Amino acid sequence: MSQSLEAYLIRPAGKQSVMDLRELWQYRHLLATLVWRTLRVRYQQTVIGVGWAVLQPMLLAFVFTIIFGRLAGIPTNGQPYPIFVLSGLLVWLFVAQSFNTASVSMVANSHLITRIYFPKVILILAALITALVDFLCALVLLALMMVWYGIAPTIGVVYFVPMLLLAMMTVFGLSLWLSALNVAYRDIGHVLPFLVQMWMFLSPVIYPSTLLPPKYSFLYALNPVVVVIDTSRWAFTGGPPPAAWMVAVSCATAAFLCVSGYWFFRRHESTFADIV
Amino acid sequence: MAELAVDARELGKWYVVNENRFRRTLSEKLGRVLSAPFRRTARAERYASPQAIWALRHVSFQVEPGKVMGVIGRNGSGKSTLLRILARITAPTEGTVRLRGRVGALLEVGTGFHPDLSGRENILLAGTMIGMTPREVRRREDEIIAFSEVSDFIDTPVKHYSSGMFMRLAFAVAAHLEAEIMLVDEVLAVGDEAFQRKCKAKIRQTARDGRTVLFTSHDMESVRTICHSCLLLDRGKALKQGDVEECVAEYQRSQADA
Repeated sequence: MSQSLEAYLIRPAGKQSVMDLRELWQYRHLLATLVWRTLRVRYQQTVIGVGWAVLQPMLLAFVFTIIFGRLAGIPTNGQPYPIFVLSGLLVWLFVAQSFNTASVSMVANSHLITRIYFPKVILILAALITALVDFLCALVLLALMMVWYGIAPTIGVVYFVPMLLLAMMTVFGLSLWLSALNVAYRDIGHVLPFLVQMWMFLSPVIYPSTLLPPKYSFLYALNPVVVVIDTSRWAFTGGPPPAAWMVAVSCATAAFLCVSGYWFFRRHESTFADIV
Repeated sequence: MAELAVDARELGKWYVVNENRFRRTLSEKLGRVLSAPFRRTARAERYASPQAIWALRHVSFQVEPGKVMGVIGRNGSGKSTLLRILARITAPTEGTVRLRGRVGALLEVGTGFHPDLSGRENILLAGTMIGMTPREVRRREDEIIAFSEVSDFIDTPVKHYSSGMFMRLAFAVAAHLEAEIMLVDEVLAVGDEAFQRKCKAKIRQTARDGRTVLFTSHDMESVRTICHSCLLLDRGKALKQGDVEECVAEYQRSQADA
């Protein structure tokens, strides 16, 4: 064999390099396959298939409109409640779905971790991308609603894409922490539903972020979902744009979660197969 | 001399039996953290605890490119642990291994299979998971299907397969993996007698293809016929290594004693 062969060095746990992007690139096919598998399996043996990605948020928005829009009469800065809630709900469902699956992805895929080698971070990326596909499908619903209410998108649309990345980074960072902890401590699985619920109420999904007294703005901005949803509302329903300094705080939070999470995850990654 | 394909030095793998079970919950961990200042457990002491086991220790060996090394030993001697370390599934506690070339592991059948997907979809799924590119899988798909003998049901969900059909398809996918260094467990040979013969023939052919192979088996006849060198493990230690005949003889002696 004359072509230069790839060389690997196997060393004891905890001594790998922290960042190995080249290796991640080598495993891109595995990532694609994992995403494909999840989507394929999820919509197999269902009658309306991917329609569920649209139907679920639609039903939720309907229920929320009746309870929070009609009965509770939550203010919306003048926007019709259905489209107000949907523009936040879609972002939230994306965050919640990706967070829910990514945080338990190591345990859920233990049959793979104990049988083959691959960079485990791929499982988290796969969860994120899968949720993103559902989110993009559900955006169709929002577009239809905008046509129905005759609302034109604003310049905020341009900012929405980077904001979506901010949301993904947040989920990525948090999931790195929780999925690694979940390998050793199954408690995470029990805490998670509660955590997600709390997170939803701390985000402006069913109410506008302007409802909060300004003195809490800094604490509020520590949750990046706030500015992401505000941008979504700005882009698709013409609500007020988020403050630039709040966006900056959110970016810092997300960056901190990603860096610390990745460090923690890589430090423990090579022991997953023994513990999980 | 050509560069070594596998160069393992002083490999060791240490397991704690049972301890994980007790540390599974957060409260236990918190309790340990809080009481830590009052306990003094040195690393060396932990290694010596009765619940600690060296599944492998002080194992060193070299394999030249294109050679076949047999790994033999009784159940629990550390064969699987060794192959799992080489496949990078688990990390060693001490020691290093240098590998030159892509590593393909045929250690377990059915990795990556999903019951709800069809046989054809599972070929792609499992193939990618064990390290083939999607293009490689598609190129070899017909070959894999032919080998598995389940072509009539290839578009049926795998959950409707009989266990024999499932095992045959799973082995067929694994056996068509091409890597410069192959780790093969002959326990993989599955199915009825005829199919087992086919599996073993396929494994031996892999070994004769000029690839570097690490091969574990309980069948000394296979080891004698295809291996260039041998490693005899006993309770995690290398009892004998080098000459195939000597290792096999030693192994058979230990088997007769037991």
